[in-house]
Amino acid sequence: MTTHRLLARQIRQATDESGQVDLTRLGELVSAAYEESDRDRRRTDRAIKLMIDELEQTHKRAEQDLLRAREFLDSIIENIPIAVFAKDAKDSRYVLLNRAGEEYYGMPREAMLGKTPAEIFPEHIARLVNEQDRDVVESGTPLFLEGHLLDVGGKGRDRLVNSRKLLIRDGAGAPQYLVGVIEDVTERITNEARISHLAHHDALTDLPNRSAFNAALGERLELAQEAATSFAVLSLDLDRFKEVNDVFGHPVGDMLMRAVADRLAAEADGAFVARIGGDEFMILMPDHVSREDVQALAERLIETIGKELEVDDYLLHVGLSVGIAFYPDDGVNAATLLANADSALYRAKREGRGRVRFFESEMDQELRDRRLLQHDLRQALEQNQFVVYFQPQARIDGEVIGFEALLRWNHPTRVFVPPDRFVPLAEENGLIVEIGEWVLREACREAASWPRPLQVAVNLSPVQFQAGDLERSIHQILLETGLTPTRLEVEITEGVLIGDFTGALHLLRRLKALGIRIAMDDFGTGYSSLSYLQSFPFDKIKIDRGFISNLEASPQSAEIVRAVLSLAHALNIPVIAEGVETEAQRAFLAREACEEMQGYLVGRPDLIERYLGLVGMTVERRHYA
Amino acid sequence: MQIQYLHWNAAHGWRRADALREPPQLVLYFGSREQLLDGQRYRELRGLHPDSHIVGCSTGGQIHGDDIRDDEVVAVALRFAHTQVRLVQEVVETRDASRACGARLARQVLAADLAGLFVLSDGLAVNGGELLAGLTEVLGPDLPVTGGLAGDGTRFEQTIVGADAEPSLNRVAAIAFYGASLRFAHGCAGGWDVFGPRRKVTKALGSVVVELDGEPPLDLYTRYLGEEEAEAMPGSGLAFPLRIHDEAEPNRQIVRSVFAVDRDARTLTFAADIPEGCTAQLMRANFDSLAAGAGEAGRQARSALSDGVDGDKLAILVSCTGRRRVMGQRTQDELDAVAAELGEDIVRIGFYSYGEFAPPAASGRCELHNQTMTVTVIGEAAA
Repeated sequence: MTTHRLLARQIRQATDESGQVDLTRLGELVSAAYEESDRDRRRTDRAIKLMIDELEQTHKRAEQDLLRAREFLDSIIENIPIAVFAKDAKDSRYVLLNRAGEEYYGMPREAMLGKTPAEIFPEHIARLVNEQDRDVVESGTPLFLEGHLLDVGGKGRDRLVNSRKLLIRDGAGAPQYLVGVIEDVTERITNEARISHLAHHDALTDLPNRSAFNAALGERLELAQEAATSFAVLSLDLDRFKEVNDVFGHPVGDMLMRAVADRLAAEADGAFVARIGGDEFMILMPDHVSREDVQALAERLIETIGKELEVDDYLLHVGLSVGIAFYPDDGVNAATLLANADSALYRAKREGRGRVRFFESEMDQELRDRRLLQHDLRQALEQNQFVVYFQPQARIDGEVIGFEALLRWNHPTRVFVPPDRFVPLAEENGLIVEIGEWVLREACREAASWPRPLQVAVNLSPVQFQAGDLERSIHQILLETGLTPTRLEVEITEGVLIGDFTGALHLLRRLKALGIRIAMDDFGTGYSSLSYLQSFPFDKIKIDRGFISNLEASPQSAEIVRAVLSLAHALNIPVIAEGVETEAQRAFLAREACEEMQGYLVGRPDLIERYLGLVGMTVERRHYA
Repeated sequence: MQIQYLHWNAAHGWRRADALREPPQLVLYFGSREQLLDGQRYRELRGLHPDSHIVGCSTGGQIHGDDIRDDEVVAVALRFAHTQVRLVQEVVETRDASRACGARLARQVLAADLAGLFVLSDGLAVNGGELLAGLTEVLGPDLPVTGGLAGDGTRFEQTIVGADAEPSLNRVAAIAFYGASLRFAHGCAGGWDVFGPRRKVTKALGSVVVELDGEPPLDLYTRYLGEEEAEAMPGSGLAFPLRIHDEAEPNRQIVRSVFAVDRDARTLTFAADIPEGCTAQLMRANFDSLAAGAGEAGRQARSALSDGVDGDKLAILVSCTGRRRVMGQRTQDELDAVAAELGEDIVRIGFYSYGEFAPPAASGRCELHNQTMTVTVIGEAAA
């Protein structure tokens, strides 16, 4: 028998040097070892028991956590608006279905849980479902079906759904569940279609928009290059549409635009009609339509748009101008084709609207010239190329009572650019606001330096009324130059009053309140001048030069002048006749009691230096003042 | 290297084996606080070895060979043939200064041929983990540092360290060995197993754990020890060290045992800082697993010791007071296990400590351990 190592050690410790064993000492050591052993056993037992308790508690807590997590997930699954189901992978019996799933299948979950597809669905559907299930279980790969039509359930057959089915394996890797989600994407797909439609169509007329037109043109160019075909591009612009908008308001304008779009689309049936801007349209013709047929179509379009349109109880009248360019003769890429169709359109409008023009190569040059002129205009102000000329205005007996300030452009290389060529351009690009202000300032400064308190008349553009703060700048200029307001006369055309009629009228009233005189220019050339006379107390009416130059040749002109004069006298408004060149014309006007005149008979427009005597300055004074 | 073993007891005073042929460079001694506190043992050793560095500390039991000698002071006098020995020391005024103290010590000993460092530190006034952090900060992670924290039985009242002077409080001594001849092998292992649920350190301030899973840690220990044994905390708490798992350093295996108890706050102070938010799990052991752990430490040290060592070899065993407390009379089993692995040709002394220093085999970076057997083997290669 071997002695336990500890006992051997204890015996050794209890043995003295003589080899005598101290039994008491040995007993103590053995007893203490038992104690230690007991204590260790007790501690171990206790620790094990406590550990079991603690582990049990931990387990319970973990179970509760799991339960809460499960409830949390359950409530998510139950409430997501996507149908979710789970089936036993073995026999496809349903084991879970959420609320959206009940809705999707059109039956309560009690009717489905625990049952196989064959027990729930018609035979042909059950067969399909089972096949899909077997595929997923056997292959282990998920099944995705996108945008397919609903084949079962209570939502109706016009719904589109995305569905997916995937396999869940158990811990050992064996197929356990099939989980499926079915999402109703009908709204999303409809919305996508709607958004795509909106992106490519004009919201007002529902015609294709500019980007759709560009895409169609690009496609057509590609095809045409391959197939060597030809086709026409039409650029269309409504005439007088802006006036309708101004006079009748945007709602009526919108209705008119819709009506116009309908007429264009109906008439150009078979062509690609797009609205690409405010009152601009483009038409892409089918291949191989002849020049004559395109022209015939364009004329039909002009005719149909030119007919009176009844919109919201108004009878409206607009016109259409058309420019046409052909692929490949007038351009082989989109940019050139469009630019050339526009050039043709521009020409059509300039030649009096309501016309069709085919592109011709010199139009291209014309358009380029126009752009160059616009560019030069911008530089003109900076480089002081503008000059103010003055033309005397006189009583009918010849006594000079004032001057009209007239803008001239001394371009360094161009010969002479008449104002009626560059002013419309300046109005187009808005430069007229600055130019007009400059003229006003120059004219006022000049007039303020004259010893004689003569009138100075300055023309204002309609654009100046719409943009900027005209009242403030006139006021400022009067203060700066020290010119008495009563010496300033502004000449406006009826264009000022077309558009924002009320706003313009308010502004005119405020100018008049400053003491400034307001003259109606070009009287007789417009068509609504008479009504304007009623709405504002003009200080003067200026008869257009066209009537005066025809006085001797045309009895009608004389009658018109007479009528204007008698109308003006009835309204107590003085009249000035423009373009008086002969004594005979002056004599006629004097007989008809016209108050004032202007024209070569009195004096040409020129630098003020020529008229120093008239304004009361000697040459010397001017020089040394 | 030559070793002379000396020991002292109250009955017969100092006894020693044959004298060394030449005076030793270093004398190491270990005794209980009572045996060392009056400075008499130091003065006697100084009388024997007037020109040697004399370094010692109080313990939780002295080891000589296979035996624990509570009533004896054990000592070795070492004569190195080629190795240079240097002794440095610092006083740690507050626990917070431990890291800086470690760095200062390291700067004093740093040299190109530094081959190993053996550190003895006050076991209660010094934060052993921080002390080591300060040392490795300067020395780098590869220099082997071993040693331990002085003990005070299972009383945890005062620990003392002496370095060329009478032992005193708050002292840290470091013995630096220089030269290519020195062989400095080490091993460490515990033999503890984790048990029970993982707990979260929900509140901690430095080395004081305030809450475990929201509960005062003293309540947990009281439950596990039973009311009666809990009265004997912190000593009885050594039966259940904590395994600390810090997410920031997942590979570090840290074992911490209780050092002090605040019965009012119901908090426990551990041997080193325990980061708030880390995971803690109780550990336990039986006699056999602890003995097997000690054997593993011996095996590591033996296998790390290269061949060709000439002369005597010394093994310094620093084991934990907690192990002794758990094993009781069976403590000698762990000394037997170390002896069986080291072999009979190595002289073995050592002590039961409040914390052990050694690089774990896994990381190689010096760590403070609790509840661990560490073995440092010192020898010299032939010239």
